[in-house]
Parts: sequence; structure tokens; C-alpha cells
Amino acid sequence: MADFNVNLRGVGSVSVIDVKGYLDAHTAPELENMFSKLITDKQFKVVVNFDQLNYISSAGLGVFMAFVEQMRDNQGDIKFSNMNDSVYNIFDLLGFPVLYEFYKDEKEAVNKFSNLS
Amino acid sequence: MKFNLQKIARSRKLEYSIFVFILLFLYNIVFPMHDVLVLFIIHEMLVFAAAFILFEYLKDFFTSRMVQPISLVLNIGIFAAVIFLVASITKFTLSSNNINIETRNFISALFSILAIFILIGIVIFIFSSLRELFFLRQKKDPSVYMNTMLVFFMFTFFSNIFVKINPEYDFIKESFYVVSIILISLNSLRVSWIGFLPKKQKVYLILISVVLILVFSFNFGMISGDDSFETIVVSFSPGLLTLINLIMLYGIIFSTVLFFTTLFHLPTAEAFDRKREEVSSLIDLTKLITQVFDFKELAESVTLLTSKICNSDASWLVIKQGDEFELKSVNNIGYLEADELTKFILGQKYDMDEGVTIVTRHNLAPFVKNSNSQFNFDSIAFSCLMHHEDISGYLFAARSLEIKYDDDDRKAISAFANYAAVALENAKLIEESIEKERMEKELDVAREIQRKILPHQVPELDEYQFSALFIPAFEVGGDYYDFFKLDEENYAVVVADVSGKGISAAFIMAEVKGIFGSLSKIFSNPKELLVRVNDVLKDTLDRKTFVTSIYYVINIKTGKLSFARSGHTPALLCSNGVIQKIQPPGIGLGLDYGISFENSLKEMEISLNYNDILVLYSDGIPESKNSNFEDFGYERIEKIVSDSCHLSASEISNKIMTELTTFSLDNSQHDDITLVILKRLNNNK
Repeated sequence: MADFNVNLRGVGSVSVIDVKGYLDAHTAPELENMFSKLITDKQFKVVVNFDQLNYISSAGLGVFMAFVEQMRDNQGDIKFSNMNDSVYNIFDLLGFPVLYEFYKDEKEAVNKFSNLS
Repeated sequence: MKFNLQKIARSRKLEYSIFVFILLFLYNIVFPMHDVLVLFIIHEMLVFAAAFILFEYLKDFFTSRMVQPISLVLNIGIFAAVIFLVASITKFTLSSNNINIETRNFISALFSILAIFILIGIVIFIFSSLRELFFLRQKKDPSVYMNTMLVFFMFTFFSNIFVKINPEYDFIKESFYVVSIILISLNSLRVSWIGFLPKKQKVYLILISVVLILVFSFNFGMISGDDSFETIVVSFSPGLLTLINLIMLYGIIFSTVLFFTTLFHLPTAEAFDRKREEVSSLIDLTKLITQVFDFKELAESVTLLTSKICNSDASWLVIKQGDEFELKSVNNIGYLEADELTKFILGQKYDMDEGVTIVTRHNLAPFVKNSNSQFNFDSIAFSCLMHHEDISGYLFAARSLEIKYDDDDRKAISAFANYAAVALENAKLIEESIEKERMEKELDVAREIQRKILPHQVPELDEYQFSALFIPAFEVGGDYYDFFKLDEENYAVVVADVSGKGISAAFIMAEVKGIFGSLSKIFSNPKELLVRVNDVLKDTLDRKTFVTSIYYVINIKTGKLSFARSGHTPALLCSNGVIQKIQPPGIGLGLDYGISFENSLKEMEISLNYNDILVLYSDGIPESKNSNFEDFGYERIEKIVSDSCHLSASEISNKIMTELTTFSLDNSQHDDITLVILKRLNNNK
């Protein structure tokens, strides 16, 4: 049923997290663990690829809110890419685009990091 | 019903026997002498009938009540003594008055009949008691042996008739008599019930049986010896004398068997008692399993019974709590000592394959040396409590005397540990389910509280219709709505949604209510209010929690509304069937506590005309899913609202909920649902 999968890739100095399926209160801890691990590993530049995400709940949104500050404090960020419209609408309604960067393409997001450094 | 019938039948038997006794009495009055053969035979038959019916009555009497064997034996003894007494008194009175039997007067005849009746009663009572003992603890039905003996008793009884006809036929009586004695001897051997008596009662039984042998022998001697008592009985009925004779003989043989059997049982009595104790302890424990749900009480009973079951001086129980073994209850040993012993023994890493492990004083030497406490146990036996192939605890038993734990003890402790494991697991499960029930009750209370902090009723206004609805996904939820009367002309309405669900969201929801309730009185401007709310929430919300809200102030005179929204689902304005989304920009409360929040917020002004409808809702409605995981969606809500703009506020609310319920019929509600609808009425129309 509501499956969720997270996968971590390294693209240069940027970590790319692929999220897949349904991200809700039950599956959010998986993503949380991933972010905690990145922080322990001092990987603060993160792009989350939403290409295969079908649904996100408020608990799922909370995961990004919980970690973004730490990333930004360490000259990093969490950027979003490849979001389908229905998922983007949820982010948009909440006003995430005011605070986070959204990109159509993962490469674009990754490059944004490299341009800065 | 059946019981009643039996009771009636029994009372009838009593009537019959009384009737026959009266008949017998009258017969004796009418025919004091029955030398004529016919009279003699009738009399003999009457006597036998009286005895037999009385026997039948007493048989039922005994069967209907559970009698202890020891008290039966005691009864037999007492009645045998009474026979002795009656016989002695009869003998004494008759001999002292020197009354010739041939010339006895009416009074002495009455007296002797009465004495004989009492005699019959007592003898039959003794016989019935013996019969009852015969049937005691018999696994197979032995009634055929008893009945054969009865038949031979009858033969012997009536063979006196032949003797009467011709004394030469004496041999018939003699042979029946001998067979009867053989049968008596055989039947007397059925005394297996002795084995089941406790040792104390066995000792008691030996004493009684000695007395019984003596009393029965005296009686037998008195009845069969040439004696005045015998003469009376013979002159009344020779058959009766034979019967009494046989029963007294039965008494003697039975008592003798009783004496020797009990004597031979005595050495094993203690072992038998112990087995019984074990069995009854196991029964006690089984009862405990089903009746005692208190974990502590159960643990204490288990340790107490363990000491009892294997003759131990002390016992204690440890249960696994997490990764540690915790001492749960002790019996006859100090808490500290038991704890130290447990730690020491478990530290030795014994192989637990054998079920029960015995630790001797020798093995404990290092412990005894180091311990401050006075150690006085010679051996300790312990067994583990298994639960799903995991060790859930240990049961210890310790003896101070130098008696080794034998195989029986091991088996007992092992069996007990198994039972205890089940019992304790049961108690644990029940405790957990009670805890769960308690939690559910608490949740009920929480639900009640949440219901109370939401508005009890919607504002009642002439020109406006309000309707409001809140359905949490679980017992409690994180949605919130409220109405505030700011002044005579202005009302404020808020709908908010705390991220997440359940208890955690409900706590924040209560806080949000407090913040909105107090700040709405100070800040009438929607945007300013939301900025202030965000400021207050800064200190309480954790980083991953946010609150979306939509807030408007309406002037009821003009119908003008000013809107602010912080990340919430947009409001729907329906005028003349046309839907307009009211979505002023604004990010969710708690997403940012800096200037970004304030900057993102834009206020919006709209005006509500007559028959216009304004719908506020939480995302629980559009995100409700059907069995195919499809969303209910925004379009459906918009369509329902536009189609039903002629209806009242509460009717629209009902319609949305009906459609929503039908849509998500096969899927459980997974988010809180809030729906607040406002309709402006045209009262001038």
C-alpha cells in the first residue's frame, strides 16, 4: 500500500535524496534518519528529488523544517527538485516557496550549490 | 426435577418401612406365638420385608449426601456399641425380673418387640454404612458382588424355614451361611479408600478399627452364645438372628481388614500426603491463573506455593524486566540475601538444559565467603520460566537441611515454574490491557475536553447563518475553529490546522485556541493578528511543527470582510453559483519566525452580498481518500458548494459531509476535518 523509499546519492559535494512513494507520519522517520546521518557526516548541501513522490503529509513537510536551519547555519541548504504539480501545490499552499528553493530539474539545483562555492 | 422425584421416592420408602413395621407390630400383637408354619413363614417374610425396605431407604439416604469415610466408620462403631448396650440392658432387665419367656406378660412383650425393632434399625444402619464404605472410591461398578452377597443373606435368612420344618435340614442353612461368610470376606477387601486418607486420619482409623473389632466380637458372642438376648430374638424370628449374626460377622471381618490395611498403608502415608499436597498446590495455582490478575499477588502466591510443594525453607521469584532480572517476591528469605544469591547464581552461567538446576553449598562457597549475611542453606534448586523460548524469569527454592532435592522435587519445581510462567504472563497481559483501557478512558476525557474548548454554538445573527463542524481522525485532533464577537458590528472567524494528528496536535490546538482567543481581543487587523500569533508560537512550537490558519473579520452591517491566511487551504466564496477562491498570500505559522513571515502575508478585502456563501475548511476534506487512493479533491467541494448555494449553511455542510462519507466509504478517515460555513441572508426580500 502506502510505500515509501528513500535513497541517497552523492553528486559532487552535493547529497541528493530520492524520495519515492508516500511520505506521511509513518514514513517520515525514515527521511529524518537520513537527514540526521547527513548532519553527522557534515553533508549540509542537500537536494531532495521528488520525482517519484506521490504524496506528502504535514508530518512529511515537518522533516524539512526540522533540518533546514542546521543546513543553512553550515553554509548548506535543502533544495527541492522534480516536484509534480500535486505535491508542489501542497508546498505552495503552505508558502514553502517563500522560504525554500524549488527547481524543475535536479541538475539545476545541484549547480546552484556549485555556483555559490 | 429429577432430584425432586428421587426425594419423593425416598420419602415413600420411609412410609413403606414405617407401614411394614407397624404391620409387623400388629401381627405380633395378634399372633404372639407363631408356631404354626404358615404364620411362621408370614412372620419371617414380614421381618425380612421390614429390614429390606429400611435398608433401601438408608441406602438412598447415604447416597444423597457425601459422607466422609472416617465418620462412617465412627458411626458404625457407635451403633455397634449401642447394640451392645441394648443387648446388655435387655439381658439384665429380663434376667433380673426373672420373667419366663413362655409366660411373659403383655408389657414385656411390647418391650421386647420394641427392643427388636431398635435392633433391626441399628443393624440395618450398620449394614448400610458398610455398604457405603464398600462403594467408596470404586472406579468400576462392584454392585454385582454386593448384590450376590445380599441374595445369599436372604437365602440364609429364609433357610431357617427349612430348619423349622425339619431340624435335619440344618445343612441348607449351614451351607448358605458359609457361602455368605466367604462373600463377606471378599467384599471386605474393597477398602482402597484408605489410601486416600491423610496420615492423621489413618492413625485415627487404626484406633477405631481396634475398638470396632472388640465391639463387634462382643456383639457376635452375645448373639450367638446361649443367652437370654438370643432367646428373645430367636423366639421373635430365627431369620433375624441369622441376619444379625451375619452382619456382626461382616463387622468383625471388615474391621480386621481395616486394621491391617491401614497399618500397611501407614508407612507410605507421608509420601502420599506430599503428592496430594503437590496436586492441590497445582490446582491452587491453576485457580490463581484464572482468578488472580494482580501481578504482585500472583508472584507472592507462586513463591509461597513453591516452598510448600517441595518442602523448601525459602523460595523467591525473579522476573526479567528489560534486560535485568528483578526480584519480584520472596518467601522466608531476606530481600537482600535473595537478590545477592540470584546475582551470584545467575552469574555462574549454569546450563539450563535440564530444566531444574541444583546448586549445593559447595558451589556456593565463594558466595558464602564474601557475603555478610548469615548463609544457612544447604542446597538451592532453580528453574527458568520460559515464554516463547525466551527466559522470562527464574524460580528459586532453597533448603537448609541436608536433604537433597530428589527427582520428584525437580519435577515439581519444573512443573511449577511452567505454570507460573503462564500465570505471570497472563497477569502481565491483563495488566497491559487494563493500562490500555485506562489510556482509552484518558483519551475519552481528552476528546471531551477538546469538544468543550471548541465553540458550543455558532453566533446567532439575523442576517447571517453560521454552521460549524469538527470531526477528528482519532479521538482528538489538531484542527481548530472559533468565533469571536469583536464589537457590535464586527465578528471574527478562524479556522486553523496543526500539523500532525492525535494527542500531540491536540495539545498545540488547545494552545492555539488560547493565543487566538486572547490576541483577537487586542488586534482587530487580521494580518497583524497572525503576525502576533506567529511571534507567540515561536517559543512553543518545535521546528517540525507548523500551524496553518485562515482568519477573517466581518462587519455584519456592511458585509465587508478582511482576510488573512497563513498557509491554510483557501476559502471558497460562492455568489450566484460562481465559485471564487479566496487565497491571500501567506506562509504557515511556525515556518519562519523572522521578517519573511510578515512579508509573505497579504490582507485581502471582499464583500459578502446577499445569499453569498463563504466556506472555510481544513485539508482533511480535499485530502480524504477513497479505496483507490484518489483524493476527494478541491473541485468536488467547489462543485457541491456551487450546486447548493440556494441551501442554508447547515444544509450545505450536511451535503458536503454526505458526499465525503460516500466517497471515502471504504477508507478510514486519516486527517481531521473542519468545516465552517457562513451565509448572508436577505431578510428584506
